This record gives sequence, structure tokens and C-alpha cells, in this order.
Amino acid sequence: MVIVRALNDAAIAMQRQGTLYGFAPCTGQEAAQVGSAVALDMERDFVFPTYREFGAMITAGIKPGELLAHHAGLYDGGVADAAASRVAPLYSVVGATALHATGWAMGAKLDGIGGVAISYFGDGASTQGEVHEAMNFAGVFELPVVFFCQNNGWAISLPTVRQVAGGSVAARAAGYGLAADRVDGNDVIAVREATAAALERARNGGGATVIEAMTYRAGPHATSDDPSRYRDIEEEESWRERDPIVRARELLRERGEADEEFLAAVEAEAAAACEQARRELAETPRPRLADRLQLAYERPPASHQARLDAWIAQEEGIHV
Amino acid sequence: MALTTFNLPDLGEGLAEATVIEWLVAEGDEVARDAPIVEVDTAKAAVEIPSPVSGRVVTLHAADGETVAVGAPLISFEGEDQAGIVGTVPPEEKPRRRVRLQNPKQ
Amino acid sequence: MSERSMQQALNEALAEALAEDPRVLVFGEDVGRHGGVFRVTDDLQRRFGEQRVFDTPLGEAGIVGLAVGLCMQGWRPVVEIQFDGFVFPAFNQIATQISKLRTRTLGAFGLPLTIRVPSYGGIKGPEHHSESVETFVAHLPGIKVVSPSNPAEAQTLLGEAVRDPDPVVFLEPKSRYWARDDSMPSPVGEYASRVVREGADVTLFAWGATVDRCLQSAEFAAEDGVDVQVVDLRWLKPLDVDGISTAAGKTRRAVVVHEAPVTLGLGAELSAVLMERCFGDLLAPVVRVAAPDTPYPSAGLEDEYLPSVDRILLGIQSALDG
Repeated sequence: MVIVRALNDAAIAMQRQGTLYGFAPCTGQEAAQVGSAVALDMERDFVFPTYREFGAMITAGIKPGELLAHHAGLYDGGVADAAASRVAPLYSVVGATALHATGWAMGAKLDGIGGVAISYFGDGASTQGEVHEAMNFAGVFELPVVFFCQNNGWAISLPTVRQVAGGSVAARAAGYGLAADRVDGNDVIAVREATAAALERARNGGGATVIEAMTYRAGPHATSDDPSRYRDIEEEESWRERDPIVRARELLRERGEADEEFLAAVEAEAAAACEQARRELAETPRPRLADRLQLAYERPPASHQARLDAWIAQEEGIHV
Repeated sequence: MALTTFNLPDLGEGLAEATVIEWLVAEGDEVARDAPIVEVDTAKAAVEIPSPVSGRVVTLHAADGETVAVGAPLISFEGEDQAGIVGTVPPEEKPRRRVRLQNPKQ
Repeated sequence: MSERSMQQALNEALAEALAEDPRVLVFGEDVGRHGGVFRVTDDLQRRFGEQRVFDTPLGEAGIVGLAVGLCMQGWRPVVEIQFDGFVFPAFNQIATQISKLRTRTLGAFGLPLTIRVPSYGGIKGPEHHSESVETFVAHLPGIKVVSPSNPAEAQTLLGEAVRDPDPVVFLEPKSRYWARDDSMPSPVGEYASRVVREGADVTLFAWGATVDRCLQSAEFAAEDGVDVQVVDLRWLKPLDVDGISTAAGKTRRAVVVHEAPVTLGLGAELSAVLMERCFGDLLAPVVRVAAPDTPYPSAGLEDEYLPSVDRILLGIQSALDG
């Protein structure tokens, strides 16, 4: 979590410096993301993020440099090879990915691989129609999905109280015949246990679960957003007291599992991770448009290819 | 018009402060977002910091040669709030061209 | 007219609409308290109240469907879809409902709604924030589509769109939101196009974000001794067929410039119209300068992908060569 927080801060700094075009930080949501992702079996599960899941994606094995490459406009989605990494690209038109998770889960169930799809989305995305279709389909077909909703209190400027009618995303699960679990999203142990239980249930044929992790979007929606326009500083301060990293640190101290040496080592690891992320980004090859344009079809028709080649040739003519 | 103050951002590498080498703007200047505003020296390298907003520079919070802590005020702007949540305001500059026309009429 | 930005002009147009007609409602995501992510609806909630200017939960189908229902109870919604790429969840409401409702109800329910969409590229945005959706909506019957190219046009056209008794999709070039000028309203007729630069040798047809790029190209062409006429279509549906034909007929060579991919883009419709109306007059086939038939690329590649001045000049050359 410390690493994720450090990387988030580094990314924000990089945006200020002009290295990244923009960034949607997950500051404050580290426990919800790391705690859940750590419970996954990345040999057979599949992760379907929306766009703020920096922490979950890294925990699931994506290199930070790849995610930064998305924000630097080098390629879209933040995942260099989604098939190999079993993490779908991040996605800004929220809601659609819940259906992908459900569909993948159906495929996994047919193949009997024992894998579970985890669909990450926020309280804002939860009101998009496709999420409801995804939950209903998952219920009807009894599919191995964990619908992991991070209720972080805000969807850009709209507070959850004006977003989610009835006040609870977890409560909707009952409507679809799914199991539900509303958990303190800033308690990393609780999140891990809730996710592990949901994964177990899915693997044993018990169907899907809706986990609603109650957390807080401590930062802005994205780097050019200014939250002071729509929310109070008092609210932000009150959540600082429930900071997931501070709580985890205290817990470890209480249990005698962390001394100053350990904590210092963690900080050092985080700093090293940031270094490495910057290096990975710098070493990411700059894309060639001509290469990217070849990706639309698995089997490009000859007429399409001819027109594309002519367009590319025109550009090369200009450079000459 | 809003007055906004920006602090020295975390420039990475665990550095806690930086020294102003040279301001590239002066108080009173109109600055475009992303235009370089100051060159600072960290222990490792000289870094140019781009402006996070468009607006008029009101206050430079450090003199040339002064050291600023990460998170301490760096520069204040007065400007119209023109932030969008995504995207970069395109620069208002005239494009360059390489193609020349051959006019068959001539 | 003093200098102002398109964002300001749109804000004024919305304020005028809200003041003029008590049935006008403005809603969408983050448009109320926040004033919109591009500040187009800035301060309107404070001025006109929460009942008339309000935030909705997240859901484009919800926003547009809500607008349809409101029209059926005599209200006049002006809704915002936050970005072009987000219009697709609403597309069922647009294609099966908005396009057809007046016909299906034998005229009982017209839909005087306006859907505002920040559109097109040029802002180094993430995926799905730089799309050109004009063809999808213009292809549908019963819907009108318009796209302004400068602040004065934006104010005039948004007013016209809101007052139009039919559904209008209003495509705002977001890359032009902040550019300031002292443009004046143009004295053209209803649903008319506008000649923004007179010329004799070749006509460039454009709208929204590409008009300025065409004007820049025309200046370069003038340096090379080629006199380029530039037409801002303004209304994409209905197309100003008479205006377009007159302009193309005058220069006898035509180039269409758009950001959308070339195949089945609006350039195809313009080509067909010009062929029907001006076939005998044209000295060259209509040229289309557009994006290739691929998804919009990542931000770092955007400048190469969008129609550049060089590509427009090559298009002009192609038209000159016949």
C-alpha cells in the first residue's frame, strides 16, 4: 500500500512536470485495492478494472511503468499484454467492463478452470445500466464473479448520497440473488478476508458476490480537477484519520510485527519502486502510428489495407 | 478571478527540497499552462517545472538561489478557472507546413 | 463584441435560454454544482435554481431517456453528455426513441430536446474522449445535428438548437473551448452553412474543430498562389445543400476535411450530394481528408492522426490535379 501511495504521488508530480498528460489518483483507496487484489490467484483469475485501479493492477502484477505509459499517451489501457497478465486494460466509459467480467466468468465456468473474475468499479459506475445487466446475468447463470465496488464517496463532483438510490450498492445484490458484503474498505485485512471469502464461494459453485468497500477518494477525480469547488475540507480531514496506511501501520506495531527498521525498509522499497517506474516509463518505446494503425482487424480486408497503406504513405511523403 | 498558490511538487527520488536556479517568469507575467516557469536544482539534476495553470503570476515565493522545501509554496497565480478534468488546452500557435502546392493553372 | 471564449459564449447562450423559457431544464453529470467539467454550465445552478439546473447520477441512457420522458410532459431539456465517447450508452435512446417517437406517436409527441456533447480531438485526452460521432447521429431520421466553430457561432447556434422544436445534437469542439476571439454572429439563414473565406480555386468544407485548421491551410495555399474558399457547414443535418452546391460550383473543386474516419464519414454524404448537384461543374472528384479507418490512437500519436495542415494541402493538391 505504501508503494502504491508513493507511486500515486510520483505520478501526480510527473503530471505537474508535463511527463504525463493526466492522472486519476487512487489515494486513500490503497487498502480496498491492495487488500482485494492480494487475495486473487493470478494463475487462473482475471481482473477487470475501471480506471482508478492503479493499486489493484499493480498488486495483480502489472508493472507501474505500463500504467504510466497509458497516462503518458504512449498506449491506451495501461496493460502491455492483457492476455498474458490476465488484467484487462483500464477503461473510462464506466460500466461496460462489468459485463466483460461476467462473460469471461461464463467462459471460465464452461472450461472448468476454477478461475474467478473480479470486476472493479466505483459508486458512480454502479449506476450505469450495464452493471445491472452484468449482475443479473451473473445471477441467472450462477457465474464466478466478484463485483468489487469501491464506494469512495464521490463521482467527480457528485456525492454518493445523490448517486446511489437507497444508499447501498451491496444491498442491490439481494435483488439479483447474489451474496453481498459491505466492508470497511480502509481496513486492508477486512478487505482481504472479504475478497478471499467471495473468491472461495465462486470457486465452489456458490455464484457471484457484490462487495462494497467503503472508502474515500482522498485526492481529486484527476489531476486537473479541483475538489474544493464541491466538497469541504472538514470532510477530507475527517477521512485522514481513517487513512488505510496509518491504520495498517498501527495494527502492525500493536501486534509487534513491525519495528522502525521494517517501516524504514518499506519506505525505501517504495522509493525504489518510484525510481523503477520512472525508468520503465522512460524506456517504454515511443509508438509509431503506422504500427498502431494495423491493429484494428485480426484479418484485414485487402481494400481496407490498401486504403490504410495509402494514408500512411501520404504521411511518409510529407516527411521526405 | 481566483488566486491559487502552488507548492513545490515532489520531484521524486526521495528529495525533500530544491534550490531555485532561475525563474523563467516574472511577477505580472501572463503564463500559459505547461509553459516552463522555473528551473530548480535538486541534489541530482536541474529540473524545469511547467506551469500547472494558465494565468497571471502574482507572487514568486522564493528568490533565485533560495531553497524551497517540497510542499512549500512556490508560485501564486491569478487566473481564470479554465481547468477541465481531462485534456490539455491546445497551444494557440500557428502550425508549420512542409507541403507546397503546385498550381497547374500557373 | 469584446473577446471571449466559446465556453463563455455557450454559458451565455444557456443562461439566455433558461431566462427566456421557463420550461428549459439543464442537466447531466457534474453540470449543476460543479458547473460542468469544462465550465460550460458554470454558475447556472446558482442563478436559476436546483430544480432547473441539476446533476444526475451517472448513466447516459438515463440522462437521455429522462429527457425524452420530460419532453412528453412538456418540458424542454438541454442535457450534457460529458464526452463524445460516452454517447454510446445513450445510443439506444437516441436511435430507437428520439429518432422515431414523433413518427410512432403520429405527431403527438415532438421532442424539443438538445443534447450537448463536447466533441472531437485535439486535447491529448485519454481514450474515448476525442471521438467524432456526427455520422452516427446524423444518419438517424428525425434528428438535427449542428456543430459551431467559434464563440459567436456557438452562442447563436445553441440558441437556435434549444428553440428548435425537434431534437438537436449539439457537437461542441472541446479543443476550441478556451480560444478567445471577437467573432460576430453571422447573418446566414436557418440551417445555413457559412462561407468563412472567399476563394476561387478550391473549396474546403469543414465544421467544428477543423474549420480553423482549414483557414490556416488556406493562408499557406495563398502563399503558393492558390486561392482557397473555406465553408463552415454549421448544420450537419440538415446539410445546406444549396449553399454547399453554390460554393463548390464556384470553385469547381471541393475537399472535405473531418476528424472522423474516412469510410462512411460525413464526407461521403457531401461527395454524394455534390455529385448529384454539381457533377457537370466539377473538374475533379471530391477529395476527403479524414482519419484512417482505425480507432482513435493514444494521445501521443494524436497530432499525426488528425488532419494536419500538410494533409489538407495534399488534399487541395489532389483537387487541383483532378
